[in-house]
Amino acid sequence: MLTIEEVKTRLKNKYQSAVKKFEQPYGTRLYADIDKSKVREISNEIIGMGGRYLVSVGYDNIARDKTLGLIHAFSLDRDDIFVCLRTAAPVDNPTFDSITPDIPNAGWSEREYMDLLGMKFSGHPKPKRLILADDWPEGVYPLRKEVPWNLMPPPAENVAYQLDEAPEGCTTIPVGPFHPTLHEPAHFAVYVDGETIKGCDYRGFMVHRGLEKLCQTQLTYNEIPFVAERICGICGSVHATSYSQAVEMAAGFRISRRAEFIRTIMLEIERVHSHLLWLGVAGHLIGFDTIFMQAWRVREAIMWFGEKLTGNRKTYGMIVVGGVRRDISPELKDELLGILKTIEKELVTIHKAIVGDSSIHRRTKGVGRITTDETRLWSLVGPVARARGVDIDTRRDHPYAAYDEMRFDVPVVDSCDVWGTVVVRILETFEAIKIIRQALDTMPAGPTMTEFAEDIKPYQHAITAVEAPRGEVVHYLISGEENRPERWRVRAPTYPNLQGVPAMLLGDQFADLPIIIGSIDPCFSCTDRVVKVDIRSGRISNLTGGELETISRAKKLAGR
Amino acid sequence: MDILYIAVNILVFLLLAPLFEGVIRKITARVQSRQGPPVIQPYYDLLKLLGKQNLSAGTVVFKFAPMLALASILGVIVFLPLGYQANYLTKYADVITIIYLLTLGGVSVLLGALSSRNTYAAIGSSREMITMIMVEPVLAMTFILGAVKVKSMGIAASISSVTAGGYGASVIVMMAAYLMALQAFVGRQPFDIAEAEVEILEGPFIEYSGPNYALFKYYLILKQMFYAALFVIVFIPPFKTGWYGADVLIQMAFVLVVFIGIALMGATHPRLRIDQAQKFYAVLIAASLAAVGLSVYGI
Amino acid sequence: MWLTSKIKQVLLVLRPGVVTLKYPFEPHPVAKNFRGHPSWDHHKCVGCGGCAAHCPARTIMIRDVCQDLRVMLYDGSRCTYCGRCADVCPEDAITMTEQFELATNDRNDITVSMELFMLTCQRCGRCYNMETTNMIDKMGLRGFRYDNLEARAVIPTATEHFDEKMLEESDRYQRPQK
Repeated sequence: MLTIEEVKTRLKNKYQSAVKKFEQPYGTRLYADIDKSKVREISNEIIGMGGRYLVSVGYDNIARDKTLGLIHAFSLDRDDIFVCLRTAAPVDNPTFDSITPDIPNAGWSEREYMDLLGMKFSGHPKPKRLILADDWPEGVYPLRKEVPWNLMPPPAENVAYQLDEAPEGCTTIPVGPFHPTLHEPAHFAVYVDGETIKGCDYRGFMVHRGLEKLCQTQLTYNEIPFVAERICGICGSVHATSYSQAVEMAAGFRISRRAEFIRTIMLEIERVHSHLLWLGVAGHLIGFDTIFMQAWRVREAIMWFGEKLTGNRKTYGMIVVGGVRRDISPELKDELLGILKTIEKELVTIHKAIVGDSSIHRRTKGVGRITTDETRLWSLVGPVARARGVDIDTRRDHPYAAYDEMRFDVPVVDSCDVWGTVVVRILETFEAIKIIRQALDTMPAGPTMTEFAEDIKPYQHAITAVEAPRGEVVHYLISGEENRPERWRVRAPTYPNLQGVPAMLLGDQFADLPIIIGSIDPCFSCTDRVVKVDIRSGRISNLTGGELETISRAKKLAGR
Repeated sequence: MDILYIAVNILVFLLLAPLFEGVIRKITARVQSRQGPPVIQPYYDLLKLLGKQNLSAGTVVFKFAPMLALASILGVIVFLPLGYQANYLTKYADVITIIYLLTLGGVSVLLGALSSRNTYAAIGSSREMITMIMVEPVLAMTFILGAVKVKSMGIAASISSVTAGGYGASVIVMMAAYLMALQAFVGRQPFDIAEAEVEILEGPFIEYSGPNYALFKYYLILKQMFYAALFVIVFIPPFKTGWYGADVLIQMAFVLVVFIGIALMGATHPRLRIDQAQKFYAVLIAASLAAVGLSVYGI
Repeated sequence: MWLTSKIKQVLLVLRPGVVTLKYPFEPHPVAKNFRGHPSWDHHKCVGCGGCAAHCPARTIMIRDVCQDLRVMLYDGSRCTYCGRCADVCPEDAITMTEQFELATNDRNDITVSMELFMLTCQRCGRCYNMETTNMIDKMGLRGFRYDNLEARAVIPTATEHFDEKMLEESDRYQRPQK
């Protein structure tokens, strides 16, 4: 076990002046300002301490000191510490050392900031466009403050993403942008030899909705939970909770204990229904529609409960900054207990019916294999990692909400294949039911909403992680002026997991592609959230309040 | 009178095949706790498709492949001794003709698929081809089993004589092999590999639409009824009432039972991969060969 | 193994029977707290503009046509039915109804406009003095805070509609003649 002080001493001793300053506003978060020439070394040092790469956050700091800021966030899972390495580069030469050669999972984050902030990463193995549309003009970096949020560059013809070269003797099969396996638009170019997959290239971010830019420029703290919730249709509460916790952390503010318990219950309700949903979808992907229908039938009870409690089947709108909107009454509590009992019973039946089914084993065992070491290398998260022997779970490692009081097991199997994810998810559902019961039993009385006493100080950094059904959600927030965040970075679990998919696909049959991609429970719109462009219509914009008013009065919009 | 039987054959198949398809869909729905579409939904589907516009992928082959497929399956049906009555045409063909015509149907699917030059269609047709090559022998062995017994390749003779000597070991083995191959014959789970919706989006038929697709759909449901009916005619001992109409009805009742079995099988299995299916087919071929071998020794 | 699993599966599916509904013919009632289409009670509304200030989707617009007349416009086509407006309304003038079958080919079916007569305040000041935590005060607090009603309520974005046309309409708005 490392303490935060030990981490500080180790960094200080080894890198001396390269580490300029430590900030440690709350017990478990360490922010270190470091010299940009040492980024790669210090990142490796943190990984060596048992750190796991989470996400990189780039932000525009031009107005204050003419730099572009970059933060690499790591989690020391055994020690309950988040380490954030903050560095900056002048805007006229924003070059950083790429950490991708050592930490492949950072590849997308770095590509993202090449696109959005115009940063350059020396030594990046694949410096291709990731997020922006193919016809987006060069040199316009949408996440910079000077670019309006509703900027709309003219569309261009005859520009297309250049896919990687197919390996010798392989045929390219396009999976996507629209394909029944994917449910959401994303493009996989799969290189196959016969039916064996030899490689794959990914071009996604087609439903990029520009949420981060929108929230940084237009919305206020209190409105963002509703947008955050719409990042993902399945794990909405997860994003809302994560965001709200980040704001509360930046404000140095604690919500009532009862609200924390209700948040815990909402998160676990979401886990129950999400895992049942996934089980159904997995059945559908291997052509077993009966599993699909039966799992969804069982799931339906909890959906109706969600409607009773929150007023809607999904997008509960329950979690806001400062607490939750509705309380769980004693009647609802009894009803929830009843529903959990039925679901548990039905799930046991389903579990028994499929656990020994050799025809399902044939399609899932030994499929999508990737070793434990590779899983660590790629920083995969959630059930995907736990099915491959990596014992991480944010609920246990970095407790939030009321999880510090809950007793539960984290199921980990080491079969390293798709079947492992099936088992992990089913077991996790039982654990989730257990947690809801405990939370209902021990929930203290109290208010559900706590009101803010004072303003949130600008430029406070906060990082929170929440265990979504699919894996770990990370929100990084820098508070800002004008009652809205200066920078809000969302990393959904699919973001790292999708980067590991090519490794899982390698050497498998094309027929297994749906279930392998399905096994990470991909959520492309979660992944595609970030900045600002609605690619389909090519619309973008950003106006200050004053300009906006003038323009609206003139009844003319920029770029129209 | 013999010529009338041909008309009965064609009419019974054309009219009842979509109904059986509807039965499968209804049963699948019930297994999945759904309401499911009405039993006559396949008729609506066909009618609707027939009323739509044809989108062509270009070549002449693409246009004629569906007609060829439907024609070949109708050709097979004509020879079938439905109601234990050989009709006027039955004696002009032998079991080889039936196998050839069935293969022709499969080949026209491949032709249509390949002429569309779609990647998914190409994968689908390669899978279809493998399936065809690997399961057709089971059908051939079934006929040969009968032919060995009566020393004749005639359709009526070979078909009716499979169970003539009672249920010996050879017949039981062959029956089991046929039943296991049935899902592959009719292209349902676990062997709907060629059409696998989630990976290759209906494979060979991806480019088809409108009336052309209707013809293919009709071909598929006629084909699945043919295989089910063949099982009944070959392996269920005749319940001859003396009335032709009643005989046909009894056979159709058995066909319905076979369809219920197909539906249940399909609804409780995931799809296999083509490499796994190949191994399975290989076992079936071996079993059916063994059955023929046994029958030579009169077992 | 295979056979026992299949038997278990068949048993699993036998028990529940048919669970789907023949939906349009056999409606399923929604829960009591359902957040459907919001409805405004013009008897209760005091025209404070809280709903317009807090709507995350910016579907509610409030404009003062003249000193005495305030117009509230709600565009249901962009509404996300979060129910925030009903939460913040100090007079409970907004209720979330149970209506959810809102598909329509006419935008006006889901648009609400309401005109409110505003009395000029005679400055008795009672509403501010009664208690420190009355709703109007609360709305200025962090938990309910907004920045600038005038600028925020008319942010036209995201979709082609709402914005200009609606602005023009509200500019041209005239009371129906008797």
